[in-house]
Order: sequence, then C-alpha cells, then structure tokens
Amino acid sequence: MIRRILIRVAAVLVTLLIAISIAFALGRLSGDPTASILGPMATEGQRADLRAELGLDQPLLLQYFDYLGGIFTGDLGNSLQFYQPNLTMILDRVPFTLQLVGAGMLIAIVIGVPLGVLAATREGSWWDRAASALALLGQSIPVFWLGMMLVLLFAVQWGLLPAGQSGSVQHLVLPALTMSLYPMAHVARLTRATMSDVLREPYIDAARARGLSAGSIVWKHAFKNASLPVLTIVVLQAGTLLSGAVAVEYVYAWPGLGQLALQAIQFRDFPLVQAIVVFGAITFVLLNQLVDLLHALIDPRVR
Amino acid sequence: MNAGGTLLEVSDLTVTAAVMDRSLTLLHGVSLTVAPGEVVGLVGESGSGKTTLARSVLGLLESNITIAGGSISLRGEEIVSPAADRTVSIRGKHAGMVFQDASRSLNPLFTVRSQLAEVLRRHVPGIGKDQIAARSAQVLERMRIADTGRVLDSYPHQLSGGLRQRVAIGLAVVTEPALVVADECTTALDVTTQAEVVVLLRSLAADLGVGLLFVTHDLMLASDLCDRIAVMYQGEIVELGAVDTVLLHPEVDYTKRLLAAVPQWNGATSPHA
Repeated sequence: MIRRILIRVAAVLVTLLIAISIAFALGRLSGDPTASILGPMATEGQRADLRAELGLDQPLLLQYFDYLGGIFTGDLGNSLQFYQPNLTMILDRVPFTLQLVGAGMLIAIVIGVPLGVLAATREGSWWDRAASALALLGQSIPVFWLGMMLVLLFAVQWGLLPAGQSGSVQHLVLPALTMSLYPMAHVARLTRATMSDVLREPYIDAARARGLSAGSIVWKHAFKNASLPVLTIVVLQAGTLLSGAVAVEYVYAWPGLGQLALQAIQFRDFPLVQAIVVFGAITFVLLNQLVDLLHALIDPRVR
Repeated sequence: MNAGGTLLEVSDLTVTAAVMDRSLTLLHGVSLTVAPGEVVGLVGESGSGKTTLARSVLGLLESNITIAGGSISLRGEEIVSPAADRTVSIRGKHAGMVFQDASRSLNPLFTVRSQLAEVLRRHVPGIGKDQIAARSAQVLERMRIADTGRVLDSYPHQLSGGLRQRVAIGLAVVTEPALVVADECTTALDVTTQAEVVVLLRSLAADLGVGLLFVTHDLMLASDLCDRIAVMYQGEIVELGAVDTVLLHPEVDYTKRLLAAVPQWNGATSPHA
C-alpha cells in the first residue's frame, strides 16, 4: 500500500516536472520579449540592459534552474507589464474563475446527467431526441457566439441581466450559462452512452429479476456504474476550464485567469504566461489524482 | 384452475417478436406445469425458445416481444396474459431467477451483504436490521457457504466463480420464493462446481418444496437433476414426460437426435472416455 502511494507520488512529481519544463521552453521559444516591451524605437543598448535585468543574458541552463528553484519556493517570478509577483495576480484571479467554472459545471451536471439518463432509459423517445439535439448544438455552437447572443437577448433586448463584469449572482448567470453548454452537451452524450451500455449488463437484468424498484435499478445499480466515466469527464473538463476559460471571460469581461492569460500573451509577458501555464499544469495534475481517488472510492475493483 | 398440486401453469402460451416490420413467433402454444418441490427441465438447442419461456414467467422479455396468446399462472393466479402483465407482483418475491453467468449477474460495486439486504428490504415489509443480517447469513449457510461473514462483506470480484453462483442463487431464494427459474445457471462453471450447484438446487426442491424450472442444453445434466423433462424445438414443446420415459423411450425424432449427440460413457465410440 505504502509502496503504491510512493510510486503514485513519484509519478505526479515527474509529470509536474515535465509540464513546468515545457512551460519554460515555450517561454524561451517565443522570441525576444525586449523588442515588444521597449518598442521599435529602443536602441540595442537599452535592450541589452533590459535583457540583463530579466536575466535573459544568463546561460539557458542557469535560467532553467533559477526557474525551477523559484517554483519550489513558491516564487513564480514578476510580471513584465504589471510589476507585481505573478503568483499574487494569479491568486487574485482564481476565485473569479472558480466561481465561473463551478457554476458552469454545476449547470452542466444538473441538466446533462438527468437528460442523459432519461435518454438512455427511454431510447428513441422525445427525451432521447432532446438529448441528441442538445449534444449536437452544444458541441457545435461556438462559445463566443453563444455568449454574444445571450448578451444581445438578456442584456440588450430584455434588460434582464448585466452584460458583463462581475460582482453579484446576476453577473454570474450569463457567463456560467455560456460556459456550461459545451460540458453539458458532453456530459449528456456520455451519460446516455454509458447508461445504455450499463442497462444492458446482466446484473441489471438480474436486479430486475429480483424485483427491485425501477428507481433503484436506474439510479443505484446502473448509474453508479455509469458514473465513473462521467465523473472523469466532469473533473477533467473543469480542469481545462480552470486554466483559462478565455472566450467566455473575454466576452463578459470576467476578471478571471483566462483574461489574465490573454493580456499576458498580448504583451509577451512571458514570466506571467509561464506562471499561468505552471499553475494550470499543477491544477490539472492534482485534478487527475482526484479522479483516480474518486474511482477508487466508487469501484472496489480498482482499490 | 389450480389443481392443488400445481405451482406454475403455462397454458397455450404464444409469444411473438417484432423484428423490423415482421412478426416472428417465438413460442407456439406452449403448455407446461411445475408442482411444488418438482424439478422440471427445459432442454433444447439454442433458439428453441427455452429462454423465452423462462423469461416470460418473470416478465423479463425485451420490449419488442409480446404475449400473443395463452397465459401463465402462479399458484392459480394469472400473472401473464395478452391483456395483462402482473409479473411485477411476483418477481423476486414469489419467483426468483438464476442466470447463466453469476460473475456478471452480481453488481460489481456492491457487497454481497448490501445486495442481499436490498432484496430483503424490498420484499419483506418492516424487516429490521438484525433480521436482515440473520436471514442473509442463513441463506448463505443454506447455499453451503462456510465463512458467511467473509462472503457477506466481499465484493463479487473477491469471490470464486462457484461462490459467486451460490451467492446469486442465494439472492434468488432469500425471499423464500415458491418458484425458481434457472437459466443455464451451471453452464459457466467447471464440472465439479457444476455438480455442487446441482446438489444445491436439488436440495432447494426437496427440503423447501421450491418448484424449479431448470433451463439447460445439457441433457445429461437435466437427467441428473430433474423429475420431468420438456424438450423444446422451434418454439414448441415436442416431448414432455418423466426423465426415464423421455431418455429411455423418446417418441420424437428430435429427442432421439439430441440423445444420440450425447457422448457415451461405456461405448468405445466416445472420444471423451
């Protein structure tokens, strides 16, 4: 048991090391940032000074070890455009992104899961068609377009909800709704597919033969078995969205990580880009571990 | 209707299936009875309709299959007819079913204890925790399982194939049903375990008076276990009688052919001897 945990921890650390190394390499591959920071009028001397200030004149390997050392001491460097520690800025933005992703995923699950289950238990019915339609629309409508249409209807036309920015529950409704559509479609489709597979399992047949109630057969016996892949998708989608729901945050001027990432990229603020990528990688790896843990909790065969 | 000695009565049952836009007849006017404590074997090749007949009794037919004629009664009460399906009221409570592959008829995510408890809670109104524990252990003992405590707290994947099938039978009989339908329930087991399960089923009939409808393609197994045998061919019962009569003096060609296909013990022709 302890051996398994140690191996697991080692695997996580190696994954993280690879991810943050890639983030470092990407930052260095994107060209000389001094050009865009100082503008085209800067002299070669000024640029050399800035390079020295940023440590870019050091050997690459030295820069790399500096960077690694920084990460392990919680120092993700300073932003080139905001003159602030990157970590502070990221942590300032995280609560907003968490709100958005949390609310969006909640809507996606609350609608997607029951719809998928209804579609699977009533194959070929109206529910089934509704789920297919949702899956098709949700996965083909571009997020930025949906966002603009919702703003147009709910904010501009009917004046029911604010068009952008954050601060209250009303502000959260439209961005969360916009964000939820794609994962909702994914969840509904996957729930329907896994549920209809599980409902054909002999143990479901046997549960019927034992005279168990329809509710227990569908929600306890079948859904518990079907929940594993659905759970995986939910957590991994949340992970992807956490490290930058760029389109939604942009459309609604939502002050989350996605906005910050966009600004950092536009300004070639490579330390900030790097810091956001590192933060995203750590979040994603940890969420992956969470998925494994939940699997083990639900399924005794993987314990 | 109920002649005192009849537990299950299938009379003139016709079952059809809608496949594409055609209607296929799966059972043509099948009649059969099972008395309390009696073991009736249902033999025949795949596709002969024996599983359809077995599943009709518990109302477990696919949605494209319909009862076109005849009826099924349990203890004199009609449970299946073209007009009505009252199998819900007997399923799991008065009639249990055991399936071919026990490793797949137990839900992998629940312990044996919780699966037994759910069946008991569903069918025995007002049953308490202590009673559930007692009856669960008791039914496993009846299934000749020695360490009931360990088995109760195990998940299906932690048990051997033979144990799993005994647990599955336990799940079917924990509510003390009058009838058990076993559909090829020994096919997936090795010969030794198969023999143990057969002894177990025999004792259910002999000791508890359970009526057993035993579906199998194995004629020799049926002759070991059953009191009477019904031979099915293309959706009809072509021969029905006491085991000895059917095996020693078969009347129809199909039964003779089935018998001829069985490897002989004493003959020099047997490849398995």
